[in-house]
Amino acid sequence: MYREPLMPDEASTAYPDAFQRPVSGEGATPASAVTLTFTTDLAAVRGLVEEYARKTGLSEPRIVDLVLAVSEIAANTVRHAKSAGNLAIWHSKNEIVCEMRDKGHISDPLAGTRPPDAEALGGHGLWLVNQVCDQVEIRSGTGGTTIRLHMLLGSPRA
Amino acid sequence: MWYNKGVDLLTVTVPARESDGQPHTLMAIAGEADVTNREDLRGAFDAEVALEPHMLIVDLSGLRFMDSSALHVILQANRALDRHGGMMALVAPQEAVAKMLRLTTADRLVPVFRSVADAVAG
Repeated sequence: MYREPLMPDEASTAYPDAFQRPVSGEGATPASAVTLTFTTDLAAVRGLVEEYARKTGLSEPRIVDLVLAVSEIAANTVRHAKSAGNLAIWHSKNEIVCEMRDKGHISDPLAGTRPPDAEALGGHGLWLVNQVCDQVEIRSGTGGTTIRLHMLLGSPRA
Repeated sequence: MWYNKGVDLLTVTVPARESDGQPHTLMAIAGEADVTNREDLRGAFDAEVALEPHMLIVDLSGLRFMDSSALHVILQANRALDRHGGMMALVAPQEAVAKMLRLTTADRLVPVFRSVADAVAG
């Protein structure tokens, strides 16, 4: 897993802490994106993502990955954010992008990058997300959290 | 025992119980298990673990999806069973669930079998 190289125009003094910068291209959520606002209906979130990914031609094993990742992030929203979450999903020729936003705040910039102990009874969620996605961008500040998951189309990785 | 939240989101049945004279306890979890119904899942596991079975076989064949909070419920039940010398076995996970068990290495803590018969044979 690697984090998106910061876009040149993001490397400004406006966000001295890179973790709080907007995700790449933020503001450019395409008009074609399919969106869903959710509170606790995670099955609907999973259903939408599964259907979209299948229609877009993502391979079945990668659909499993993406649905798991999206559900784990939505679960964090249910648990911690005390607000509704917003999902936007779109694709280009090369990839599917899922953007998840909520009003919660992730204070640890390295959240999910270290494997939890198998016996740990927490902390698997974001780590799993990082394992199954081709790329994960997390930005979090006092205004909320934005996470973008990228899945390459035509990738054989399973 | 039978739980059903909303659509067919999570269903837990217990086809066999040691306390009813069966050789093992068999639980079947079906549907989708996530953070929104984990307390139902926890309640179902707590009820069976409290009966202190020697062998708790969990049939996952009908479970389409499981997130990490459902996994934690299973791992907690496994730990509680272990404290009184009981064992847990997971059976026939679908691909999405099997992958989650692999990625979290939970499959090293709780043995996973293809069928109930395999689990009974150990």
